[in-house]
Amino acid sequence: MMLVSDIIELSLQNLRLHKTRSILTSLGVIFGVGSVIAMLSISEGAKRSALSQIEAMGIDKIIVYSKKPPVAGGAVSTGRTSLVERYGLTLRDRKHLADLDNVERITTLRDARKRVMKGQERLDLKLVGADLNFLPDSASMLVQGRWFTPWEFKRPGNVCVIGSNVKRKLFRLGDQEVIGSNIRVETLVLKVIGVLENDNGTNYPELGSPNDMILIPSATSEALFGDYAYSTESGGVKVTMIDYDVLLVKVAELEHIGNTAKRIANYLEKTHAKVKDWDLVVPLDLLKQREATQNIFTIVMSSIAGISLIVGGIGIMNIMLASVFERRKEIGTRRALGAQKSDILFQFLIETVVLTTSGGVLGILLGVGISQVITMYADMPTVYSWWSMAASLLISSLVGVIFGTYPAWQAAQQNPITVLRAE
Amino acid sequence: MSQPEVRPCGDDLVLSLRNITKTYNTGELAVPVLKGISFDIYRGQFVGILGTSGSGKSTMLNILGMLDVPTGGDYTLEGIQVGSLADRDQATIRNQKIGFVFQSFNLFNYLTIEQNIEVPMIYNRVPRRKRRERALELAKIVGLGHRLGHRPNQLSGGECQRVAVARSLSNEPAFLLADEPTGNLDEKTGNEIMKLFHTLNRERRMTIVMVTHNPMFEPHYDKVIRLRDGRLEAGGLGQ
Repeated sequence: MMLVSDIIELSLQNLRLHKTRSILTSLGVIFGVGSVIAMLSISEGAKRSALSQIEAMGIDKIIVYSKKPPVAGGAVSTGRTSLVERYGLTLRDRKHLADLDNVERITTLRDARKRVMKGQERLDLKLVGADLNFLPDSASMLVQGRWFTPWEFKRPGNVCVIGSNVKRKLFRLGDQEVIGSNIRVETLVLKVIGVLENDNGTNYPELGSPNDMILIPSATSEALFGDYAYSTESGGVKVTMIDYDVLLVKVAELEHIGNTAKRIANYLEKTHAKVKDWDLVVPLDLLKQREATQNIFTIVMSSIAGISLIVGGIGIMNIMLASVFERRKEIGTRRALGAQKSDILFQFLIETVVLTTSGGVLGILLGVGISQVITMYADMPTVYSWWSMAASLLISSLVGVIFGTYPAWQAAQQNPITVLRAE
Repeated sequence: MSQPEVRPCGDDLVLSLRNITKTYNTGELAVPVLKGISFDIYRGQFVGILGTSGSGKSTMLNILGMLDVPTGGDYTLEGIQVGSLADRDQATIRNQKIGFVFQSFNLFNYLTIEQNIEVPMIYNRVPRRKRRERALELAKIVGLGHRLGHRPNQLSGGECQRVAVARSLSNEPAFLLADEPTGNLDEKTGNEIMKLFHTLNRERRMTIVMVTHNPMFEPHYDKVIRLRDGRLEAGGLGQ
């Protein structure tokens, strides 16, 4: 019996001799593994970014928000062009929810519905009254200045914290000293005391990202606007009466979040029986749904990969059978020189395994290349996992063993007398 | 007609055939190819097995080379009854006791000359370093010490056959079994190869069995075995 190192060296030498043929032979495995690696890294990347977005909303939170009813049921026409709308989550709702079991605290957000202008241009920014805990509960970070003090929640003032997009849109690029400068929102003049940034992609229903908010303490908001949010539409004044746009309900125990969400929904269904002017999102549920979808996707992907590897393997088996026929004189010579049947068997088997494994290596490189290109041109994040590469390599070797055994056995069974005479 | 035989003492017997028969069964018809052949070959003899095509020469070669088993009779190689051995053991004996030289060289084009010479040693599990040393030594013996790194397709026919001879010697076999070794070579190169065999035989006391239809080299042989129609031709054996 020959040494394994000798067999491997021999098969490498033989494959090197037929470079083009070897590459063509393992094309099936190369593309099979390549597409698996590419698709896995794309789906893993998509999964990660979706997960981080969901997580940024807060895994331990239930987001309850006011939703403008499809038909303005609560709207009362007062005169020709003025309109009063009343809908959404109320002070009473908040008090009740705060008393529920498992609710640790509630952070509120209210949009003042003011137009933020820069010259004549209306910007897509929002003036929002927020609670003290908004900063940690929205997973945002202060990048400049400071957050409000508890005292500023007791006494209305004229200070604000702006999101990073607000800074970008209202100030010039070079402006570093935004802290202490004043901004104007309609008739209001506010002093900027801090800049926050949210790089998790947090996005609240109806309100959007904290990066687009000019935040003022909820107390200031109440003092200035009371229950009313006036907005001048073309030709008249629109009055929206809304207590809260978003309630971030933080739960004490994550495992009971489902129950808590159900109880919140039950309560709101009763109190807002007429029109459904609210809704809620449980990020954890989204996360679980996302994971379930991901698992189905992975199963489908693996089946496709499996089929392509089988097809590749059959191709390799065909070529190896042809190769056995083509090299029958070599087989006969080797047998005459003292090779055992098992030597011939292993020579051909290892040759196939080396072929498929190097096909696997090339496939991994191809897959990584494809996902790099996709990341570059389609701006989709991709994530490679070591386990997927290791598994691909292992599976491609296995394909070699499975589809190489029959040709190798054929090679070993050749009668040396007949094959020696072959030309 | 045959030269006086070199006949050393009894334990220098390399191989002996006793009443060897070979019958091929093609369907219902039994075709006898070898019909009872007996002869001995001693160490250091240069033996020519001659015969026209159809004489049973190839079958004789296959049996001597242990690629085929006889239907009847005994084949003893260095005291071992080899006719009835299992496939595994036959391969081992081919590897260690028989040095094959083929008509069309049968070198591997994807290996270097050095690696070609090493092939039988690989199957004999000779360590890598020893294989290298031995390959170099053998290449020098056949006059190709300077071409170890080349590949067979860079060599002439005569040089290829020299490599094949070096390869056949690698495991220090009991005898060389050459099958028409000059059949694919022109006359001049053929003579050179014959000279190489002659030198190996005379200077290194290598036992050589050459199967050929070419009667031209008869003067080289110590002993000539003539086959005709599956039998030894009368007077063909100096025994």
